[in-house]
Amino acid sequence: MLTTVAAGRVYDYSYCIGMYSQSGRGFWAPQDFVLGPDGRMYVLSRGVEQLGQRVSKVTLDHEFQGQFGSVGAEDGRFVWPRSIDLDDHGRVFVSDEHLNRISIYDEEGGYRYHWGRSGSEEGQLNGPSGIAIDSRGAIWVVDSLNHRVQSFSQIGEFQSKFGRQGGGDGEMEMPWGVCVDRQDNIYVADWGNNRVQKFAPTGELLVKFEGTSAGVGDLKGPSGVAVDSEGDVYVTDWGNHRVQIYAADGQYITALVGDAQEPSPWAQAYIDANPDLIKARRRTDLEPEWRFRRPVAVNVDADDRIIVLESYHHRLQVYNKLKDYVEPSINL
Amino acid sequence: MPHQEDVRLMAHLMRRAGFGDPREELEKRVSMGYEAVVEELLHPERQPAINEELLYRYFPGYEGAGAPPINQANWVYRMINTRRPLEEKMALFWHQLFATGNSKVDNPPELTRQIATFREHGLGAFRDLLVEVAKSPAMIFWLDNHGNRDGAINENWGRELLELFSLGVGNYSEDDIKEAARAFTGWTIAPKIPRNPYGRFHWQFEYKPEEHDDREKTFLGHTGNFNGEDIVDIIVDQPATARFLARHLYRFFVADEPHVSTWNITPPVDPEAIEFLVDAYNESRGDIRSILRALFNADFFKNAQFARVKCPAELIVGTVRMAGNFNGFKPGFNNLALECGWQGQELLNPPSVEGWHTGSEWIDPGVLMRRVNFAARVFGDVSLPGVQAIIKRVVVNAHGDPSPQAIVAACLDAMGPLEVGEVTYSELIAHAERCGDLAWSTSEELLATLRNVSKILTLIAASREYQFA
Repeated sequence: MLTTVAAGRVYDYSYCIGMYSQSGRGFWAPQDFVLGPDGRMYVLSRGVEQLGQRVSKVTLDHEFQGQFGSVGAEDGRFVWPRSIDLDDHGRVFVSDEHLNRISIYDEEGGYRYHWGRSGSEEGQLNGPSGIAIDSRGAIWVVDSLNHRVQSFSQIGEFQSKFGRQGGGDGEMEMPWGVCVDRQDNIYVADWGNNRVQKFAPTGELLVKFEGTSAGVGDLKGPSGVAVDSEGDVYVTDWGNHRVQIYAADGQYITALVGDAQEPSPWAQAYIDANPDLIKARRRTDLEPEWRFRRPVAVNVDADDRIIVLESYHHRLQVYNKLKDYVEPSINL
Repeated sequence: MPHQEDVRLMAHLMRRAGFGDPREELEKRVSMGYEAVVEELLHPERQPAINEELLYRYFPGYEGAGAPPINQANWVYRMINTRRPLEEKMALFWHQLFATGNSKVDNPPELTRQIATFREHGLGAFRDLLVEVAKSPAMIFWLDNHGNRDGAINENWGRELLELFSLGVGNYSEDDIKEAARAFTGWTIAPKIPRNPYGRFHWQFEYKPEEHDDREKTFLGHTGNFNGEDIVDIIVDQPATARFLARHLYRFFVADEPHVSTWNITPPVDPEAIEFLVDAYNESRGDIRSILRALFNADFFKNAQFARVKCPAELIVGTVRMAGNFNGFKPGFNNLALECGWQGQELLNPPSVEGWHTGSEWIDPGVLMRRVNFAARVFGDVSLPGVQAIIKRVVVNAHGDPSPQAIVAACLDAMGPLEVGEVTYSELIAHAERCGDLAWSTSEELLATLRNVSKILTLIAASREYQFA
């Protein structure tokens, strides 16, 4: 469905961005992205083993503006980059699950500094995955293998923490992605418990987003989360290859499954350059290519556009949340 | 303390039915009893499988990877970290027998899927596995069955099915090949979304009745309107199939044998063992689990310690399993996979449909240097947890007897237990004597002890004996 209508909301598929590429114009097993000023996005590619790790600077209208970072343990490099966010000054923060550190770059990718120490003590990290920066500039880090969330100052000074390993309220099992809303509440993708938990900045549990006993709104290994201007919550349901949408109170609304029927301009150029590819594509059902596969991160822009990053298909799909939608006649 | 002979036998079982175990694991298994361990190995479903969701969370680029080394790395990760060692070893066995290579298939994720098929069906009925292999898109492409149509047969799959996958040369005629090929007409691959720009999409098996030869066929003396599964049913009832599979199992699990291409002129090394395995095949109607149960519990298996040259995967995976340096998730599995290739066993890309030439053919001067250097480098790294565990065991032993003989014996015990010949033993003793007594009263003495024991481990890893499973 290009248009999804549910519970007073309308989501309209718009277009997709990107394609597979080991370097340059495209992404490779991307894990996260962040929206910057002037339509620029920073897309973080994980690559594989010793290849492909980078941050790509790309605009929402398909302009490739360069890349920075590469594999390695030296300053400014990364091994298992997982998450990316921007502060108010446009500085880029990247987490590295293997090196247990957060690296900071300027807006064009110039390396500035890093912080993070390995361990399980307060302020130490073990597999830092999702990161999100709140309105006060605090860096919230999902300390995945310590099953908790910690906050730090911009230079890595420990501020606070919440969560511990387990399946009870407020507990976590290898949490993954994170986001903060406009009130600085923290939403944690609790991967191993198949749910998202919303916390106050104090660490108080506010709402849980998960399936009902009847299986409605189920999650399987959620990876990322985002909140729109109306409080609706979007969760990349990584293990089920879809995006689950919930109201602010946790009520399940609907799902998006991916609708990229038209390749991105970069992908179309790749296809057009190969007549055999064109022929092969005309002989088969392309639907598996439209659909999400391993949706891993989601963001909502200032216009409530929902942008979903797919790790397996190396691209982003963009949906509009329509505010002035009029139902077509039912008897067309 | 478990009896030393029991540990020795358990180490043998785990080298053959798996990729070797560290000493502590062996002692745990000994306490279970040999036959109980065999049963556990034969029932991998009783142990947790590799958590694929966790694997692809940490290695997202492994899933559907286009590059051969990444698919090889995916498999090497499983060989090292599996709790189901025989399941993984059987995947390697069937990959050797149903050798399918990326050199032609050019589709590494499809080969990874074929390995998953071996994992899933590798201990079941041979008949079912043959049908699954016949439907494997990688195999269909490898042996051209997608071009095998009514009125224009392609014999490639039919020929190899009989020659290399079941009966063996001399047990069928050229007409049988043609008739088998006719029966498999229409077994093909559906068109798929081509690779890129959005990653890889899998092939799917497709049966096209309009391309199938629906007329009567005569195959190995049987006449009927056969389809592919009927051919497989006839094949698995042939005495030659039982003998062929028995010889493959013996060669892979028991002792080195000449290459399959010579079997029609070279008798088995141990004809009685082959007859024993043939009987197990017939009694179980080709049930692989039953045949392996008979094999692992047989005296000819228990007495065949160090009778096989380790294949590169066994050498590499066994070494890092003992050293403990690739337990869990970490970067670098692709380097281990590449090392397999550099030592002559490029996983997912055997040199031909005959598979690899094994035994002493794994070794040439260049490869031997690689094998020695690899193992010696690992055991020379005293930072690795498994190496530290071995050294600790040796040092504890030295408290009671610090003599060079006792230290060498403790090292050989902790790394196997291994048996070495006189030449190797005297070299090890000579080195241990040059090192002097082990001591650990000061940090300098402790450091020297670490270095000296590590050097002995390195020498053992470089020995002729370490090359054998």
